[in-house]
Amino acid sequence: MITQSQTNFSHLIGAVLRYTVLGIGLSVTLLPFVYVILSSLKTPSEIIQIPPTFFPKVPTWQNFTTIFNDPKVPLGLFFFNSSFVAMARVGVTLFTSSLAGYIFARYEFGGKGVMFAVIMAQIMIPFQMIMIPLYLILVKLQLIDTLWGLIIPAMIDAFGIFMMRQFIEGIPRELIDAGRIDGASEFQIYRSLILPQLSAPLATLGIFTFMATWNDYLWPLIVITTHERRTLPLLLTWYSSNHGSRPSLTMAASVIVLVPIVLIYILFQRQIVANAATSGFK
Amino acid sequence: MASPGSLRRSQRRFAFSVMTPIMIYLMIFSLLPMIWAVILGFFDYSPARVGGTIFGLGESNPFVGIRNYLDMFNDSQPATVFRKSVSNTFLFTFLILPLNLAITLPLAIIIERSHARVKGFFRAVYFLPTVTSAVAVALIWGAIYNPQAGLLNSMIRTIGMTPPKAWLSDPQAFVMGIPLAMIALIVAHLWQDFGYNLVIFIAALQGIPQNLRDAAMVDGANEQQMFWYVTLPLLQPTLLFVCVMTILSSLQMFILAQVMTAGGPREQTTTMLMSIYSNAFRYQNMGWAAAMSMVLFGIIMLFTILQFRFLRSDWEY
Repeated sequence: MITQSQTNFSHLIGAVLRYTVLGIGLSVTLLPFVYVILSSLKTPSEIIQIPPTFFPKVPTWQNFTTIFNDPKVPLGLFFFNSSFVAMARVGVTLFTSSLAGYIFARYEFGGKGVMFAVIMAQIMIPFQMIMIPLYLILVKLQLIDTLWGLIIPAMIDAFGIFMMRQFIEGIPRELIDAGRIDGASEFQIYRSLILPQLSAPLATLGIFTFMATWNDYLWPLIVITTHERRTLPLLLTWYSSNHGSRPSLTMAASVIVLVPIVLIYILFQRQIVANAATSGFK
Repeated sequence: MASPGSLRRSQRRFAFSVMTPIMIYLMIFSLLPMIWAVILGFFDYSPARVGGTIFGLGESNPFVGIRNYLDMFNDSQPATVFRKSVSNTFLFTFLILPLNLAITLPLAIIIERSHARVKGFFRAVYFLPTVTSAVAVALIWGAIYNPQAGLLNSMIRTIGMTPPKAWLSDPQAFVMGIPLAMIALIVAHLWQDFGYNLVIFIAALQGIPQNLRDAAMVDGANEQQMFWYVTLPLLQPTLLFVCVMTILSSLQMFILAQVMTAGGPREQTTTMLMSIYSNAFRYQNMGWAAAMSMVLFGIIMLFTILQFRFLRSDWEY
């Protein structure tokens, strides 16, 4: 027979063990972030000093001012490139996903099943399979080395359409019928009766599209060749390969690229984590 | 008010006016590239040469039948690198999978049992690396692995041990037959990726009804028995989903290897996607690269089909 004090003791041991594991996990997760921030605040000589230091002896903004004042790195332009592509893709994805999702949820027409299957098949096609012909198509359309080349091939998001259809199916049909009786056109019904109901799933889809676009690397690497049109991840690899002997600068540039996405994560953390678990976003 | 007939007609018109552009768009940006990719694999095609009139195929970009596929087995340099990239990709994927599960599943169980507020905090922090730019992650881990000034080696020296000469660039360094650079990449990838599976496991664990655990408890099951006979069987569908998703994303590994090692040392970390990328866009050898991408597609398809097979699960609770 186990006594009361024994169970209490084993509970305590369990709790200590649990929090030790969680604490170790926490430090391993956060250490690289702490390291990049501390490294970005070191002087160029301190960061290559042996033995290395962990905390900067005299923290300095020098690396950041070097980047901000570098005429070859007009940061505002690169932030614009990344933001423009991300915002455009978010805008277009939200529009096409909600509109097509609405059609699939609430309209009956010939070929609907086939069209839906065609769109859903997009989920199964890995991007790497179509990237070579897609590049050749963009060459024909003269979209290579333009920001549009990053936007136009990504205007339809099968997952977004599926998600919106699921959500719109939950909106009562009476709402649409009421709109029809009032003489609203089909697009007006979508615009002023359906769209306002979709703010939660649209926000989720928007955040995930934004993050995926902001961090996208392979496709911009293929499409963009002119320095001034680079997005931030491209700028980052270019910058680090041009400043190989000055790692403190690379670390500072990484911090600059990480800040916006980490801020967005902190703001929308609850929504992001909850939806990553249930919807299979990646 | 309009008659029901004209109403139905206007609805159908609206549906078609939305779906027609979408379908045309998908034909140009999805169906066409798919067919084109298959066709390219049968040609010796380079965009640098002016070929025939249809998509530049033919003439100086000749049809070669299945030669691109046969060439994968010969002794030429590109074929050797490609085969190396296939085995690297499989090595990477099947090391990542068990390691990822060994971290995320126990951690998810621990977090799920914690106090609600603690749970939210840990979940949020552990998920943070998954949203950060992979390029930045690669640069940060590159600095951590730096042999002279890097964090890892200075930690190893602090505890009085001798660190390896180089983590990412020593072709002679192996641990249990696995290249050291590959291990270093795997660690960085696990760090960035584990939060995703963790969050899925936590959600699945929350979905297990408490009364099943209570019943097992009443029957006198201990913690271990509870895990093996209650939790794990109920997690089976989630486990499968997580395995397949992890396999699929690992098979398409690109950014970390490209930025941290550029595939080196001696192609020890070149992945399939890197091999496809450099052959297509650096060497302009697109027919050959398209054939390689079909091989990767085949492997990916195989795992996707397996997922659909197994995900038809009978579990209900």
